[in-house]
Order: sequence, then structure tokens, then C-alpha cells
Amino acid sequence: MIGCLLAACIGGTPLPAQQVAVEEFTLPNGMQFLLVPRSDQPDVVSAGWVARVGSVNERPGITGISHFFEHMMFKGTGTIGTRDPAKDARYRAEQQAVRDEINQLVWTRQYDRFFKGEIDDPWDPANDTQQLRVLRGRLDALIKAQQGRGAGGPDAGTIVKDEFDQVYTRAGGSGMNAFTTYDITCYFITIPSNKLELWAWMESDRLHDSVFREFYSERDVVHEERRLRTESTPTGKFEEQFDAMFWASSGYSWPVIGWPSDLNSYTFDQAQEYWNVYYRPKNLFGIVVGDFDPVIAKQMISRYFSRLVPGDREPPPVVTLEVPQLAEQRMIADGDFPPGIELRYHTVPAGHVDSYPLDMLAELLNERTGRLFTGLVEGRGIAATAGAASDTRKYAGLFAVSAHARGEATPADLEAAWYEELARLQDADVPDRELRKVKNRLAAENYRRLESNMSLFIQLAFAEAILDWREINDAPAKYEAVTAADIRRVARTYFTPTNRSVAIYRRQAN
Amino acid sequence: MRLLRPFPVRLALSAGLLLIVTNRSSLAAEATLPLPARPEAIAFPPLAFEPPSAAAFRHVLSEGTVVFLAPSHELPLINLSITFKGGRSLDPAGNPGLASLTARLVREGGTARKPAAEFDEELDFLATDVAVSATDTFTTATMNCLASTFDDSFRLFLDMLREPAFDADRLETTKARLLAQLAQRNDDATSIMGREWKRLAFGPDHFSAAEPTAASVEATSREQLQEMHRRIFHPGNMIVAVSGDFDEATMLAALERALAGWSRGPEAPAPAAPVAELKPGVYHVPKDIPQGKVLIGKRSITRDDPDDIPLTLLNEILGAGGFTSRLMQKIRSNEGLAYSARSVVTANVEYPGIFYAGFESKNATVALATKIVFDELRSLSDELVTEDELETAKKSLIETFPRQFESKPKTLGVFVNDEWTKRPADYWKTFRDKVAAVTREDLRRVARKHLDPAEMAILVVGDWEAIAAGDLDKRASMGEFFDGKVTHLPLRDPLTLEPLE
Repeated sequence: MIGCLLAACIGGTPLPAQQVAVEEFTLPNGMQFLLVPRSDQPDVVSAGWVARVGSVNERPGITGISHFFEHMMFKGTGTIGTRDPAKDARYRAEQQAVRDEINQLVWTRQYDRFFKGEIDDPWDPANDTQQLRVLRGRLDALIKAQQGRGAGGPDAGTIVKDEFDQVYTRAGGSGMNAFTTYDITCYFITIPSNKLELWAWMESDRLHDSVFREFYSERDVVHEERRLRTESTPTGKFEEQFDAMFWASSGYSWPVIGWPSDLNSYTFDQAQEYWNVYYRPKNLFGIVVGDFDPVIAKQMISRYFSRLVPGDREPPPVVTLEVPQLAEQRMIADGDFPPGIELRYHTVPAGHVDSYPLDMLAELLNERTGRLFTGLVEGRGIAATAGAASDTRKYAGLFAVSAHARGEATPADLEAAWYEELARLQDADVPDRELRKVKNRLAAENYRRLESNMSLFIQLAFAEAILDWREINDAPAKYEAVTAADIRRVARTYFTPTNRSVAIYRRQAN
Repeated sequence: MRLLRPFPVRLALSAGLLLIVTNRSSLAAEATLPLPARPEAIAFPPLAFEPPSAAAFRHVLSEGTVVFLAPSHELPLINLSITFKGGRSLDPAGNPGLASLTARLVREGGTARKPAAEFDEELDFLATDVAVSATDTFTTATMNCLASTFDDSFRLFLDMLREPAFDADRLETTKARLLAQLAQRNDDATSIMGREWKRLAFGPDHFSAAEPTAASVEATSREQLQEMHRRIFHPGNMIVAVSGDFDEATMLAALERALAGWSRGPEAPAPAAPVAELKPGVYHVPKDIPQGKVLIGKRSITRDDPDDIPLTLLNEILGAGGFTSRLMQKIRSNEGLAYSARSVVTANVEYPGIFYAGFESKNATVALATKIVFDELRSLSDELVTEDELETAKKSLIETFPRQFESKPKTLGVFVNDEWTKRPADYWKTFRDKVAAVTREDLRRVARKHLDPAEMAILVVGDWEAIAAGDLDKRASMGEFFDGKVTHLPLRDPLTLEPLE
């Protein structure tokens, strides 16, 4: 993902690169803010904040917890989302006790039965023991009562459903959302300019006083999200497997959404612990882009976000490096998709000196006049589509080439054609005009990325979380400086047979 | 506006500059005060917004073509778009997809002056983005370039629109790629859903539901593309919009020159209304996935129907309002049955659009989620929505209204569409007042008229055997809808669209 975004930052050429004027400041509690006032889109502001945490910070047992947090952050606080905070806290404590008991039983008794082959799935309620059935019934009753849909009726309920969203909706907020990636978690919304104080109130409230409400029922939603994105799409589950094969030791090997067993297993204490480490002001930064007065905004932000309490622990460093790959890896998948291929090579993290020629190389391959289209789609007539991406992340990177076959062509034909194109890149310098063309295109992209507030917001989010926000201003010159020799060098360094992994996709017979 | 709760001192202010000064000094004092206990306690400065008037941007070239111009010098870019009347609506019977293929080949097939590959190289070297595509009722051609390359870019763009070469090799390549794309039509359940839903809603022969087959693509000739091009791409059938870094007079002169000698043909005919009626009931298409995908809906209203705004509000409350909407709360948030549950109302200008509610849920809970949708639809007809729900929906529509005009290209897009569809000139000026005037009784009346679940079709894509029985707790099964009758639709061959088996 970051590879594409950084690629979009490329610029230089006959035009001076557009510099984005960012006002940066840090509150005494350590939370940093980036402000970009601009008036081309009048009366609206895109605002949000980023937690410098993603699935790469997880470990087996809690995979997916970063993404699960993202869901929890919309469940309200001591003020928003409940009509009776004290009673609501009691419900949560009771639910926690029951769920901890359920987890203990599943991890021991049910896992044991599963290992012995007595049941097919330790988490499936259909396989519950009598004791588990009773506990699950109790948890369900507590959840319903808290929602005002159980024993005691509406009066027993303490939750005001999705109040967080309602407050924003009434105030003209739109596009409220969040996303989690391998490296970052990002929350954002677009609001009318005069509602900036509401944003400061709402966001500082949920960072100051977050409540993990509906901690247990929300994981059903995440399971449905997993089914939707991974299990019900033609290639989703194979892409997950390819990731797990490609990365040997890195934390990039598990999916952002998490493994299903972990998704069921998070405990409240683990969540609290994660919060204490990763959601403290020093590990967060805010971004405001749009039509606003920076002096007012700064005062407002300082007034509200100063209530966040600094943590007493530093996030632990990510210490596990990816081990070098020693032999080619290959995966063959049969399913409902056209014959195709994806080749991947281990490369470098974002900001590495070689990341710039690698991004440029992806650009040379892409687009209508790029080498994959002219070579595989048109020239050899064997591909329906073909593309490349340099995906440089915080701690490691990869380069991917993929193509779908057309006509009678096979994945083997696509693979062979790529090796021929690769040899051309390794054996000869890219002609000047071709390099110039790519640089021109990236220079124009340097302006196009500024056409919307949200697009600028997202670029700042990734740049600051992974490198430094100044990268969006500095990158154009670095891309402009890339030479044909640089491209040839990286093509030779990284695109080697032992450094590659190949996924072959075949259409399964009906 | 009545949505704000300003302090009296701020209410008196109108000039933006004065407001900012006052805000700064008052904020300094506020910094030491405790924070408001709840968001409702915050006083917001007023935000006056009046929608721009199309007339201020509209020009007519000497040969009659309407042009909307919005110069803006923040970035050295120019966005030019030409909207032609007619898209898939012009596809002849037996060749669905012809308008789309024509649009694609206009872009890909080179020009009378330049072979296709050379044309593409020049555009790419200029770093100019050009796209041509057909929708149901319009065909659009867009160009985004650096202001410094406008003359060269626009010359290529115009050559492409006026004299496309429909290069024979490119036509073959594009057909082959299209065939590879058609072969994938059953791979993802979402694309099966889209295809079958349109067939149900508009009938398989209506242009909005008809899809190309391998045979129709293979049989398409260069002459057919040229004929379609003649019908769509000419000044008698287009409106131009340009925003970005240019001088208005210079741009008008450039457009005058560009269109000179391009002969005007007749305006394309209005799209035909669908003939088929949607038959209520339960429909199922097989697909082996661990989750059922469901759409529940019926034909709806035309855009200029007086019920348009009440129906929009109703839809907001039901399922278009994100987490705040009923379907999201009941299906996702309360029950955890789906990642997303939503409803959509579309309104066409010349013929009715559609209403649908949709979600994806694990097989066992498809019936339960369907039941929740039905319950909510019935409740909208039986009971009044709460004051609070209506208020939230109104505020959302009114407060997000400025976003319709948030950028120059978006604003011009609204003007072009309004010009083509002859929308009343005061529509946007009075939009917020019309929203504010809607009552709860209006919503109930509109729900009874337009959202009766007995008139709807339920379309399920998935594994019927696993879906039909319903959930473990026996809260719902598919047997309870339409007396348990199900129409099993066949999966269609992705290339021929003929039923499989």
C-alpha cells in the first residue's frame, strides 16, 4: 500500500515540485499535530489521527488485535455511548468474567477434543459442552441486557447505540471511517469548517476515555468482515496463504484481520495492555487539512488534546528481521479465477536508498505504454491485464508483478515472458526518453495528489507514520535523481531466482 | 441556520474576518475553562453557504455548444470533461455493450493523424490522463493535464474524439481482453448478484441489464463502432466543462477554434423505459461461498417525483445513514450478523430507479437478517419514525449539503447533469428548505406507497441448502418469506449467459 502512495509522491522534472506547507507542533503530553490550511475546497475540513501501530506490532495469539481496536474505537466512552456509565461498567466486568471462563474452557477442554479428533472446530458453538452452553447463554443474556434487549427490557439497558456516529452525523460529518494496515491505524472524517471544535471534543474524548464496549459481540462483526473480504472472494484466502509463505520471520506474515482462532481469543486484559502501550499521546499524531484558521485550530487542539495522559511505557521495538530467502518458493492455487501469476521479490523498507529506483521501476512497467502492457498484453498477446507494485513498508519491502492470461496462454507463458522483460531491464539501461516519460508522469502526479484534501491527508498519514511527513516534499527530488544505472542495479540486485516467490493461479474445472 | 447553537455575541456577527478575531480572543479566555461536558454544549460559529448558480459559470459557443468554466489557480492543472448524451441506452438489440466498446476504442484505437501506439506515447510523455467511458445514459470523455501542456494535450484529445481511427489490431486486442474479462463473470459472487439483480429489476432485455456475450463481442465490427461514434460524439450532443488553471477568455477562444468545422448532428434520443415488471418473491442463484449475499428491493421513483426528498430521508433512516441507520444498528451492531448492511435508492430521470436493502451474512443467519429488514420495512409503514431519527436525518442532509459543491470539477458536474436533464433552476437553492419541511407523517405515507415489502424481490446468492434452514436458535428461516416459495435461478455460462446445466 505504501509503495503505491510513495510512488504517487514522485516528481521533479522541468517543473518545480509543489511543496506542501505543513504547520507542525507537539503538545506537552507528546502528541504531535500536522496542520495544512488550504481553501480550494471551501467550508470543509478533513481531520483525523494516526496510531503508530499495525499488525506488524502483534504476535501469535493476538494477531488482528490492532484492527479489532479500530472497531472498538467507535463504541464510545464514559460519556458517549451510554446513559449510565457505572452500570455499563458493571455489565462489562460481568461479561469479562464469563468470557474469560469460556476462553479457558475452549483453550483447554475444546482444543484438547479438537486435537484428538473428537470435534471439527473448538470454537463452533455447535460443539459446546453443557458447561460451555450455559456460560455462552449467560454471556449472551448479559450482552442483550446491556443493549436493552434482554431481561429487564429497555430500562435495564445502558448502551446508546452508535452515539459516536450519530453526533457526527447530526453535525454534517461525512466519510467517517478508519483503516488498519500492517504499519499504521488511521481514523478520519470530513466535517464542515465550523465544526472543528466538535472534532477536537469527540476525538480527544475517545482517546482520553475509551471504553471497550461490546468487546465480545463485535468480534462476530469482524468474523463477518473476514468472510466478506477473505473467504468469500475468489482469491482472498490464497493471497493470505501467499503472504504467510512469502514472509518467513517478519510480522508481515499474518493477515491484518488476524487468524480466526486469535480473533476469538483476545481477552480484555490483553486489550487494555495494548491500549496502554500503543494508544498513548507520544505514539499518536493528528492531521487537519482544509479550510480553517490555523491559529484557532492550534488553540482548540491544545485545549482539548492536552487532556490525554502520557503513558509510562515505550512501545517495544519491532526486533525480528526478515531472514534472507535461500530458495525459490512456489504455490499453486486452483479456484474460481482466470489463469494468472504473481511473482514477488523481497526488497527494502520505505526510505531505503534503493526504494526510489524500485518505485520508478514499477512505474516503468505500468500504465498503457509501460513494458508489461506493451510486452505482455499487446506484444506477445498473452495477458489480459498486467501490473507491478513496489510495496515498501516500515520494516521490509516487496516487489510484485502480476498478470492474468488471455486466450490459450498459460501461467507458465506469463512467467517466461516476465523473465524476458526482466532480462532486458538487467542487461541494458532504460532509454533516456522512457525514463523522462516516467519522470514527467510522476511530476504531474505530484500536483494531482493535492487535488483533494483527503488524498493529501492519507499521504501525510503514511509518510509521517513510516518515515517523516517531510518525505512528501523531499521525495520528488529523490525520484528525479534516479538514473538508468540505478534502475539496472536494483533489477540485478533484488530480482534473483532464489529471492522470488511465485503464485500460480489456475481456473478450477466446474 | 437553526442547527447551530451559537452564543448571542457570535450570532450577531456576520463578517468572517470579524468572527475570526473574536474567536481568537474568546478562545484564549476559554483555554482555562473546563471542557464542555458533552458535544451539545459546544457553540459553533455560523457557516453561511449558498449553492453556486449555474448561470454564473455558463457560456454558449457561437455554434451553440454549452460550456461551463471555473478557473482556479491553486494548482497548475486543467480538468476538461465532455459529457455526451446517451450511453448503454443507445446499444442496439443484440449488441449490448456496443456503446462501451465504442468509448473504449475511441480511447485506444489511435486517430486519423497518429497510429495508436504513437498517440499513447505522446499523451504519456505529456503526463496527460485521458479517459472515455459510457454509463447507462451518458458517455464522458475527460482530460487532466498540466496547464503548460494544455495546447498539445487538447489537440490530441480532440483528434481522438473527432477522428478516431479504430485501429484493427487494437480492436482485436481489446476484444480479446474483453473476452477474458467476460470469462470472469461468475468468479465473484458480487458480480453474479449485480447481473441477476438487474435482470430481475429491469428485465433481461433492458439496456441497463443486458450484458455482452462472447458471440456479440466477436461479431462487433469496426463499422458498427464507427456508426455508434457518429451518433454520440458531435457538438449537437455534448456539454463541455473545464476547471483549473486557465484564463476564461483564452479558454473560450480555444474551444471556439476546436469545435469549428465539427458538424452538429441530432441530439441522442432519451433512454427507453423498461417494459418488464419486477415480480415479488424469493430468488436464489447458487454459489459456493461461506456467506450469503442478499438484496431486497423493488422499482422505485423517477428523480422529479414529489416524493423524492421524503424517500431520501426515509432511506437515510433505514439504511443509508451508516452506523446511525436502523439496518446497520440492528443487523451489525446489535446482532453481529453482518459487516455491513445498507439501503440504496436510485432515481432515474426518464424512468423509475430502484430501492434495495442489502447485506452479507454467514449462511445460518441470512434468514434472520432478512427478517430484520422485513420488520424494519413494515415498521416504516406501520409506525411513525421517532422525532430524533427524522431530526438526525434532516441535519445530516442539510449539513453535508455544501459537499455537493466542494470542488470545482464536482460543481461543474452538477451543472452539466442539471443542464442535460433540465432540472428546475431553483432546485438546489430550495433544497434545504424542502428537507426541513418534511414531517414524520410524510415519511409514513411515502413508506406505504414505495416501500411495501410484499412488493419486493429477495435475491440470495450463495449455498441455498446451508441458508434455507436458518439459525441454530430457530429465530428465522427462509421458509417464512412469500409462503416459502423460492425461484431457483440458474447460474449462467459466463461467456454465453445461457443457463448452465
